[in-house]
Amino acid sequence: MYGWCGKVLRVDLSLGKITSEPLDPNVARDYIGGRGFGIYHLRKEVDPTCDPLGPKNKIIMAAGPLTGTAAPTGARYVVTTKSPLTGAITCSNSGGNFPAELKKSGHDALIIEGASVKPVYLWIDGNRAELRPAEHLWGKTTHETDDALRRETHEKAKTAVIGPAGEKQVLFAAIMNDRDRAAGRAGVGAVMGAKKLKAVVVRGEGEVVLADPEAFKAANTKYRDAFKAKTKDNPPALRTHGTAITVVGTQSHGVFPTRNFQQGTFEGWESIYGETLTKKYLMRAKPCFSCPIACGRVTRIPDGPFKGEGEGPEYETVYSLGSDCGVDDLAALTKANYVCNELGLDTISMGSAIACAMELFEKGLLKESEAGMPVRWGDGHALVALTRMTGMREGFGDILAEGSLRLATRYGRPELAMVAKGLDFAGYDPRGEQGMGLAYATSPIGGSHMRGDPAYFELLGVPVPADPHTWEDKPPLVAKWQDLFCVIDAAGLCVFFSVRYLVEQNLMVKPVGITELLNGATGAGYTPEEVEKIGERIFNAERLFLVAAGFTRKDDTLPPRITQEPMPTGPAKGRVCMLEEMLAPYYRLRGWSAEGVPSEAKLGELGLL
Amino acid sequence: MKVHVNTFANLRDYAPAGKGSFELALADGASLTDVFAALRIPATVQAVMLVNGRRADAATQLNSGDEVTLFPPMEGG
Repeated sequence: MYGWCGKVLRVDLSLGKITSEPLDPNVARDYIGGRGFGIYHLRKEVDPTCDPLGPKNKIIMAAGPLTGTAAPTGARYVVTTKSPLTGAITCSNSGGNFPAELKKSGHDALIIEGASVKPVYLWIDGNRAELRPAEHLWGKTTHETDDALRRETHEKAKTAVIGPAGEKQVLFAAIMNDRDRAAGRAGVGAVMGAKKLKAVVVRGEGEVVLADPEAFKAANTKYRDAFKAKTKDNPPALRTHGTAITVVGTQSHGVFPTRNFQQGTFEGWESIYGETLTKKYLMRAKPCFSCPIACGRVTRIPDGPFKGEGEGPEYETVYSLGSDCGVDDLAALTKANYVCNELGLDTISMGSAIACAMELFEKGLLKESEAGMPVRWGDGHALVALTRMTGMREGFGDILAEGSLRLATRYGRPELAMVAKGLDFAGYDPRGEQGMGLAYATSPIGGSHMRGDPAYFELLGVPVPADPHTWEDKPPLVAKWQDLFCVIDAAGLCVFFSVRYLVEQNLMVKPVGITELLNGATGAGYTPEEVEKIGERIFNAERLFLVAAGFTRKDDTLPPRITQEPMPTGPAKGRVCMLEEMLAPYYRLRGWSAEGVPSEAKLGELGLL
Repeated sequence: MKVHVNTFANLRDYAPAGKGSFELALADGASLTDVFAALRIPATVQAVMLVNGRRADAATQLNSGDEVTLFPPMEGG
């Protein structure tokens, strides 16, 4: 095979057994890789009603055919499992260097099943793979674990590890690779912790073999040149200031979530946005493998109570640990970000849980005696302390570790959790961005922006702008973008480059460039239409898993704050999200029933019957 | 008439005295095209344009006291 390595490693932690399986060429062609392989194996092998933290759940770590190639941003892999936070599927995506190294070791995917009695780690050295004891690593931070593992395996090995949060099954624990990159969402790290798998360490010296190196190179050069030409007069804001520059887009549209989504504008935004980060704490930009953008931030807080060094914050973190908690102290939220990285926590759900606690405290429902401290809006010291306590499940942190929905439910106010399907929203208030509301509600993993991000066209002008306040035009756009993101996540690419250079630059985003690169790498001879169809197949397959897990139309919903309470201030003042009006036309054009179940005709068309 | 202009990232390079946020005097009936001309922003430089928090384009007519926001298209968040 070309582009694909042709090999899947199956790791049975209960039996301590590792087997190598050939990649089925038909599965490769029909699902591409990454997120596609994830849902293919999850549907085939995992009971959707299983206990997410039990041995019957599996973790699929899968790269795409473009991962590890010279394709721009060919750096990504996807971790798919049943989420302990939501009970739904989750498929969390990360870059860095670990995914490319997995391909260089000769593997497209890992299927991790069962559960070990004692802590172990998986060491993949090219063709050889073994499970090794990890008692000596249990309890260590992600950075300490990465250091130790590279010492005892190979100095150039790449790691994907859990920290104490994953070990203690914090329901939104992340899997951290290359120290500070995160497959963050919906508790993939908790599943790894439940399986007593501390880390996957990989070393490979192979190359991804291309089907048509000349065609691949021609496409690669074309799109890299387009990037260079455009950035000559338009320096990429993501390289200069990181993703935290996005605050400008959300604040100016009045959708920058503030104090648990009570407002869409934050008075302290200039203290925490990308340009301030650049001025105060940026050490250098850091790219993932084969990325021309380099949005990663290596930062240092030189002094004061939050002194430290690490990576971040990204935009979503600036929202979740910043504006959403009313925190305008960039040092405090950056420090909380470092703590999340070191303990292995999703920064989005961490900030969202603290924001929910702060609102419960404001309303007098959560007492200081229960939390162990006052939990007031804007308190940076409480933010950092609660983050650390959550990662270690200490004190009130043990309650925060269950996530915002369980927290709000415990205090009798579940509607104060800003979630869809139990997963905390990203940093966009749907009241001023209608498409985002539909995307959150219908995302297979819940409140994620990365399952078809309408912020691109609603807020950020990419590839072309659309009105964020209209809802009538959004169902077909959201569906189209959801399918496109399935393709990007399957191919092994990053959305940041893809949406700007590898799709047609209109709202219908036909994946022309992605198809060229896929064909050069794999020789599959895809048409862009076939690739779009694969995206739709993946999205519908994920929906089938949800349906089988018991999710229905009632779960495609948003909190009443978003659909009933008009935005109080700012450019989106007076608006609510018109979700119900969008949902029925969305189901119809998807070929789903009024209950949100894919029809037989649609499943037949997609080869999913 | 006067409008208030906020510029960000590379568009700040075209702001007078490097101050990202400033007042700009324009002829009555001016549009965003006139803002670009006044700031000498080359045609090759791309910008997302908002007037009072609402999406606008180069032809959008301005009124005295309007708040104009200009930032580059961003590939992600």
